[in-house]
Amino acid sequence: MYLKTYLNYRNFLMGYKMDIVKAKNVLYEYIRRDDEGEVIGITTAVDHVNMDIKQGDFIAILGHNGSGKSTLAKHFNAILVPEEGTVIVDGVDTSEEDKVWDIRQNAGMVFQNPDNQIIGQVVEEDVGFGPENIGVPTEEIWERVEKSLKSVGMYEYRKNSPNKLSGGQKQRISIAGVLAMKPKCIILDEPTAMLDPKGRKEVLSAVHELNKKEGVTVILITHYMEEVIDADKVFVMDAGKVVMQGTPRQVFTLVDDLKSLRLDVPQVTLLAWELKKRGINLPDGILTSQELVDELTKLY
Amino acid sequence: MSLIVDHISYIYDQNSGIPTVGLEDVSLSVPDGQFIGVIGHTGSGKSTLMQHLNGLIKATSGTIYYNGEDIYEKGYDLKKLRSKVGLVFQYPEHQLFAETVFADVCYGPGNLGLSKKECELRAYDALRRVGFPEELIFTSPFDLSGGQKRRAAIAGVLAMKPEVLILDEPTAGLDPKGRDEVLGQIKKLQQEENLTVLLVSHSMEDVAKYVDRIIVMNHGKVFLDNTPEVVFSHYKELEEIGLSAPQVTYIMHELAEKGLNVRTDVSTIEEAADEIAAKIKDRMIQN
Repeated sequence: MYLKTYLNYRNFLMGYKMDIVKAKNVLYEYIRRDDEGEVIGITTAVDHVNMDIKQGDFIAILGHNGSGKSTLAKHFNAILVPEEGTVIVDGVDTSEEDKVWDIRQNAGMVFQNPDNQIIGQVVEEDVGFGPENIGVPTEEIWERVEKSLKSVGMYEYRKNSPNKLSGGQKQRISIAGVLAMKPKCIILDEPTAMLDPKGRKEVLSAVHELNKKEGVTVILITHYMEEVIDADKVFVMDAGKVVMQGTPRQVFTLVDDLKSLRLDVPQVTLLAWELKKRGINLPDGILTSQELVDELTKLY
Repeated sequence: MSLIVDHISYIYDQNSGIPTVGLEDVSLSVPDGQFIGVIGHTGSGKSTLMQHLNGLIKATSGTIYYNGEDIYEKGYDLKKLRSKVGLVFQYPEHQLFAETVFADVCYGPGNLGLSKKECELRAYDALRRVGFPEELIFTSPFDLSGGQKRRAAIAGVLAMKPEVLILDEPTAGLDPKGRDEVLGQIKKLQQEENLTVLLVSHSMEDVAKYVDRIIVMNHGKVFLDNTPEVVFSHYKELEEIGLSAPQVTYIMHELAEKGLNVRTDVSTIEEAADEIAAKIKDRMIQN
């Protein structure tokens, strides 16, 4: 205990960030069975993955449907436990069964469909459900509910029924519910897949706020390339393996490689790439409209 | 003229204390073979409108004509209408249930009272038309990838041989390649077989790339109904109602402001790249 505190302090002084999630050689296989229970095949969903995620980072995971990214993410809060290798979340090995609840409190998860995650009849009840469940004193529950709702910009809806909210609002309530557990890390598995453009923006900006202001580590899984451009680091998965990693700029320079992995690049990057093919001289890895317009105006 | 929506309004919970307007005085005509995008924020009424088109919901007032017949007329065969106007719901793969993909696709035509042989021919044909991999036809739908399940579900509706195909967010949750494959296949069906397609989508980029016409819904009313070029030129109004134009539209406007005389009514990457490259090369020659 003292040693850990000492190491934390030392790392703090030296400017190191601690690992919040550390996946080492993680292997996970699904066994497919027929109606009689006979094994008919094995799918390796996560294939010896190594991943170090630092406290406070904003991480994105990309990959086509079936590439293993959701299966991997389920390892980060002990919904799944690796068959081989280890996953350490905030210093705790996820295979320690008696620590499961500590891990889930530290690493909260938000899923695709907001309607499957909301149970309360009133917004503030829904958000308070998690802390109540782990025996947080009533007074503190209310403080946490208020703070969480404010940080996703939904405090004014605290007395509303979740049924009457838009998809983007519901997802922000789900995020507030996770925040009320005071996690160090939040994992979002395609949180915007079902939302309209406005809802998508609301959710993304709420997540970025949490990361910047509260220092919560964010692990975002998405199929929308635009949502990734502000991440600190991007991991790309294929067939259960991490096949690319780097900053968004590094990763999105590899347009052809991403396309062959059934992925894409942001619209702006794609436009810049098409312009280069047409003989216009532009640098690699343009990510925002501003950058593109600035580069183009230099040319005329 | 295949579908005419004539001044329909729809009110939810009419008999309860708090009636809510779902649709208000909507009129449209949908000619044969058009590819139409339907956009609008969550709750704007677009899904409600789509469910009117095949008679799943009955309008509170106004009527709908399909091939010249009033679908609310007494004795009108709604079952037949539903086979002609096929509706693919969001996440249609949640409705796959049979033991094999093939059996699942046969289910719809089976309900039309066709012979087993005819059903199987149609199912096979529908799976081929959506580009479903032949070797997977007799596997369980639950062993498929997301994109394959989506195709199987769309084939189930196509096997009914609809003249109009309505798709509610057919690409939600698919990876970028899967989105292109599904929409590309639908575009091909529309062009080759003159199928009429209504695509409900939250992706302005997808809509810009594939459709001939866009209907914008807001608060249960038709807010705009025009070509993508015209609709996206109203990008400021679109933002006010929670939508946006494709990102390239914004870039074109910005370049025009900065003195490059590009067309601003461009909404796809290809068009934008051609236009910008041409104008920049002109400038370089002049200098």
